[in-house]
Amino acid sequence: MKLSAEARKVVDTSMKINQVGDKDRREIERLIEMMPDDRVLLYKNVVSNPIGDLPRYSVHIRIQHMLTFVTFLTLAFTGLPIAFFDHIWAQPLNSLVGGVDVSRIIHRTLASVMIFSMIYHIITITLDSIRKIATRRFELQRTIIPLFKDIRDFKEDMLYFAGKRDQRPEMDKFMYKQKIHYFAAAFGNMVMVISGSSFLFPDIWASILPASIAPQFQEMMRISHPHEALLALLVIAFWHWYNVHLAPGRFPMQWTFLTGKITREHQLEEHFLEYLRCLVEIPEERAYLYDLLVARELEQDPEPEASAVTDPEPLE
Amino acid sequence: MKRALLRGLLIVAGVLACTGVPYAFEDDEGCLLCHKYPKMGRITDEGVRRSYYILPDVFSRTVHRNVPCRDCHDYIQQLPHREVKNGVTCDSECHSIRNPATGKNFSHKIINEAYQKSTHGRKKIETGLDSDKPYCVTCHTNPLYNPAEGRPPKRITDRCVVCHEKRDFVNAWYNHTGRRIREVKRSSEEIVELCGSCHGDEELVERHVEAAREEGRELGRKFPFAFESYTESFHGKVTRYGSSKAANCLDCHADQDNYFLSVHEIRPSRDPMSPVSEQRRTETCRTCHAYADRNYAAIDPHPTNHPEDSPFRYWTEKIYGIIGDSVLIMLVGMAAFETVGRRRDGVVWRIRQGSSWWRKSKRGRDRVV
Repeated sequence: MKLSAEARKVVDTSMKINQVGDKDRREIERLIEMMPDDRVLLYKNVVSNPIGDLPRYSVHIRIQHMLTFVTFLTLAFTGLPIAFFDHIWAQPLNSLVGGVDVSRIIHRTLASVMIFSMIYHIITITLDSIRKIATRRFELQRTIIPLFKDIRDFKEDMLYFAGKRDQRPEMDKFMYKQKIHYFAAAFGNMVMVISGSSFLFPDIWASILPASIAPQFQEMMRISHPHEALLALLVIAFWHWYNVHLAPGRFPMQWTFLTGKITREHQLEEHFLEYLRCLVEIPEERAYLYDLLVARELEQDPEPEASAVTDPEPLE
Repeated sequence: MKRALLRGLLIVAGVLACTGVPYAFEDDEGCLLCHKYPKMGRITDEGVRRSYYILPDVFSRTVHRNVPCRDCHDYIQQLPHREVKNGVTCDSECHSIRNPATGKNFSHKIINEAYQKSTHGRKKIETGLDSDKPYCVTCHTNPLYNPAEGRPPKRITDRCVVCHEKRDFVNAWYNHTGRRIREVKRSSEEIVELCGSCHGDEELVERHVEAAREEGRELGRKFPFAFESYTESFHGKVTRYGSSKAANCLDCHADQDNYFLSVHEIRPSRDPMSPVSEQRRTETCRTCHAYADRNYAAIDPHPTNHPEDSPFRYWTEKIYGIIGDSVLIMLVGMAAFETVGRRRDGVVWRIRQGSSWWRKSKRGRDRVV
């Protein structure tokens, strides 16, 4: 495979960060050469363990996801019946959680847990980034921070789905979809926390804000809290759950949120740049890929100038 | 002979005592001679059926059970009495019941004076718009103030009887004080329902808005949607679910320092004496919201999304709705588009076993089986 400039940069950076020795470097380069140019052949032919093959999320991120989704759903079930009290489902749902006096306590308690989860997440990613910067392992494109590349990836991906491109773009650890989702959730959480606090402490908010905007702020928050909650619930139900549970290839679910691992075919299909890092970081994955390429006769014909070795030596 | 006569009289008296109506209240004036009949009533000139039937058993449980009929119906001078024109007004003075604190004849004059000064004030017989206003009996229905009272607890009244001797007196006193010591206010939900019976009546409200417009008279800005906006507010929603912790109508519109009198003298918000007037609003908010200041008092407690009332809220909701719908449609559309694209490439929709790419692709490049 002839790597694109971006992919080459990722591999070189990863080898530099991981201080890869000459032997491993040759092994990686040879494996990359053997890989077919058509990445579709790779993700269609690998064998994946449904519960995951390659590392993706730390235990902290999994705990944060668990805390966030459990609290989010419970908050929605305790809050929405109050906001949309005149709907047919509101009264039974409210009774189910023990009536408004109980649901308000549950709602406020779980809101605190959700805020804790947010703070825990911010601390985790901040400390992790500091550690990586200090050890010179930090790669901006490997983080969730949106880059111009994401816009290009989005465009190329849409063209692929429309049948105008042969391959999906080479996307990094976090693709455009996940970045949209992450920042939508982060923004939504902030809105919910601020608007929720304006319900709980309206007098304190009013005393902090200037008189000219205090009433409008409260009005805005009154509208934002239920609307944002409903929007978040619908996005979760129709988009997130679809993507991680119902989409073909992900059905019945991705186990990443529990095991922290992603399947090999998924990594290759949607996070090819991250897969290249896996090849650098995980020797076992190199061995697996080599065996697969040979067994399925997928190896790329060597370039004329690089054809000194006609019969590749097996990887250790 | 005399003995036989005496025996006969005793038997008749005994039978009469057993078969007679067990009136719990004194009917010394003989009103029940006629009003005990269930069909006692008439149809008015307006076609309204009026019943004048008194159920002694029910009346004997009301707060007025100790008041003789003519203390209130003081226009009755003879029996059978003449046609009643105005009926009872609640500011009549009782001649038989004295206020034990002042020794004066008991009456509701103080409450009535406060009520007459309020925005709801009206005479008993009113025509026109004022007839829409609530009169005493609109709110004060006897059943509300007479929850089924069982026999007072004997272990308590036994102690009283030791000195006060008469059990009937003790029981009556126990009920009188006990009822007032217990919470006799309507619940928040009931208060909202009561106020909403008029303020939520769209025809009634429209009638008043129209009349005020024609007369060039000022009405409260929130009057046209007072009830609707309250039920849509956070206070209203929580109250509707039975919580008593959020403010109901009277928590803001009545003076909390003298609540039971103040609920009778509700004033319009433009009246400086109203607890929700500009001058007093902050103090009223502080009853519940300890840190409320002028900024807080400026927040609309009756939010609506009517463009003429709150354009800010109206447009915010509109924009929110458009953004929300668009985001959802775009995301779901994107997921559907992606699915179609990947399906074309051979991905399958089944529980994964090693691979998700078992189908033949329309683009070729299939999995090597």
